[in-house]
Amino acid sequence: MEVIEVSHLRKNFSVFQKEPGLVGSFKSIFFRRYKQVKAVRDISFSIKEGELVGFIGPNGAGKTTTLKCLSGLLYPDGGSVSVLGFQPWQRQPEFQKQFSLVMGQKNQLWWDLPPLETFLLNKEIYDVPQDQFNKTLNELVKLLEVEDILKVQTRKLSLGQRMKCELIAALLHSPKVLFLDEPTIGLDVVMQKKIRDFIKEYNQKFKSTIILTSHYMGDVKELCKRVMIIDKGQLVFDGELAKVVKRYGQNKVISVVLAKEIGKEKLESIDGLREYLYPQATFLVKREKTSQKTAEILEKLPIADLNVEEPPIEEIIRELFTHKNYR
Amino acid sequence: MRKYLQLAKLTFQEYFVYRLNFYLWRFRSLVFFLTLIFFWLAIYGDRLDLFGYQKAQMLTYVVGIAFLRTIVLGSRSADLAMQVRSGQLTKFLLQPIRVIKFWFTRDVVDKLINLFFVVLEIALILWLLNFSLYLPQSLTTYFSFVVLSLMAIFLYFFISFFLSVVAFWTEEIWATRWLFGIIFLEFLAGAYFPLDVLPSWLTKIIYLTPFPYLVFFPMKLWLEQLTTHQTAQAFLICFIWLIFFWWLSGFLWKKGVRNYQAYGG
Repeated sequence: MEVIEVSHLRKNFSVFQKEPGLVGSFKSIFFRRYKQVKAVRDISFSIKEGELVGFIGPNGAGKTTTLKCLSGLLYPDGGSVSVLGFQPWQRQPEFQKQFSLVMGQKNQLWWDLPPLETFLLNKEIYDVPQDQFNKTLNELVKLLEVEDILKVQTRKLSLGQRMKCELIAALLHSPKVLFLDEPTIGLDVVMQKKIRDFIKEYNQKFKSTIILTSHYMGDVKELCKRVMIIDKGQLVFDGELAKVVKRYGQNKVISVVLAKEIGKEKLESIDGLREYLYPQATFLVKREKTSQKTAEILEKLPIADLNVEEPPIEEIIRELFTHKNYR
Repeated sequence: MRKYLQLAKLTFQEYFVYRLNFYLWRFRSLVFFLTLIFFWLAIYGDRLDLFGYQKAQMLTYVVGIAFLRTIVLGSRSADLAMQVRSGQLTKFLLQPIRVIKFWFTRDVVDKLINLFFVVLEIALILWLLNFSLYLPQSLTTYFSFVVLSLMAIFLYFFISFFLSVVAFWTEEIWATRWLFGIIFLEFLAGAYFPLDVLPSWLTKIIYLTPFPYLVFFPMKLWLEQLTTHQTAQAFLICFIWLIFFWWLSGFLWKKGVRNYQAYGG
């Protein structure tokens, strides 16, 4: 069953442009120039129930704007959006009770009160029955290990603690659809891992449909089978993560361990040297030239060990975003 | 309904967090109140009658200002404009909650807490300065005072909501709120002095605006200085403005939300 369907979605913003400085400010009182920014231009995709999809793209690509359209915050300028059979921008309560949007850089917790108060308010807002509330809260609190901070003022919590509580607040009504906008931003590696595990478990346990955006490829790599890559408001890739590597990973990495120290010039005589720190050296070579290069390296250098690997996914994505060579 | 009750509880709790802030606010109101009292006491001096007000009536009017300021003009919904500006509004647009009811709930809590304190303050001052209030003779007066004050509460709420909603377009709110809120609104509401001390051609114009129905007319009712005809007219004009701002704030809200860009994140 298709839970989310987006077809030819468009969203523009008109942004007021101010020239820098005081004079610019003064001018802007009488005369304002607006620039049309096409945040999302013609995006189409659909997502089935229970899918966990990674949504990636460089800064300003239109990820968050798309999520905002899906959650009904923004009114689309063109195309159509349907989530759970609803048009999000109508913001019907029946729809709102079935989804949640978590933004890593925004908080919904009440700043001056303990998180528990926000949870209790959300219970009423979403009409969660008392026993279900108790059960869900207990489960979430245990999973995320936050028993001892529920009654501490939100503003006194650390970022990680707050993020966990944000997740709880967003999940108390057991949403069927979940949009996570950088849920691990600013968290340390241990906490990132915990939140990831939690998202995975939540997805499997409740068969909920999740879209995740993140700048940490680790999140996406670990959680999502399917990724959508967006840039300049357009969808440039939609498919399995493994296929990204096949499609865009034109290179292979050859890493070698040298038997004895040699000068850098010697290494540089072979094309594609990327890094050299004795005794380690790595080369980046075209996929189809791998065997030829390997032979050349073995012949020219004193090698103790040699490995041919796929480059890490982070690197492929970085390459992709840098050169924007989408095919 | 229960969600708004829970929200009210939460709002109460917030006031306990910001105790100092609240005390300072009350202190400011008290100073304002005392200033007005001493001002009028000085003007009256030994006279018993001035501008058509007996001394007791004028002092009652000033006490009435303190009271109505609290329950009518007291408001939290100005914060909505800040939420629009900062993008904080986002979280409420995602939830099955009506933003206008959200702010009305918070306003009511604000009014209740302040009401408790202002009644204490008024009692204290009456006892300290030892003067008596003008109390209406007829029961109908009490009744119509309550009804007009309730209408004033709603009227002010919708005006305030409207001023906040403007932030969807201006992205800047303090100028409008300050100009309207402090200068026009409070002055024209009669929250400094009874409006009929002004020249009559001016008062005629002012009476057509929504503002005098917030403080001035409820107090005129209390002081029983309105004829039946004037009373009916006051109710009618207040009602028309009430409907107008109710419609306008709702209409602009719907338009504004479409315009909202959910900044941040």
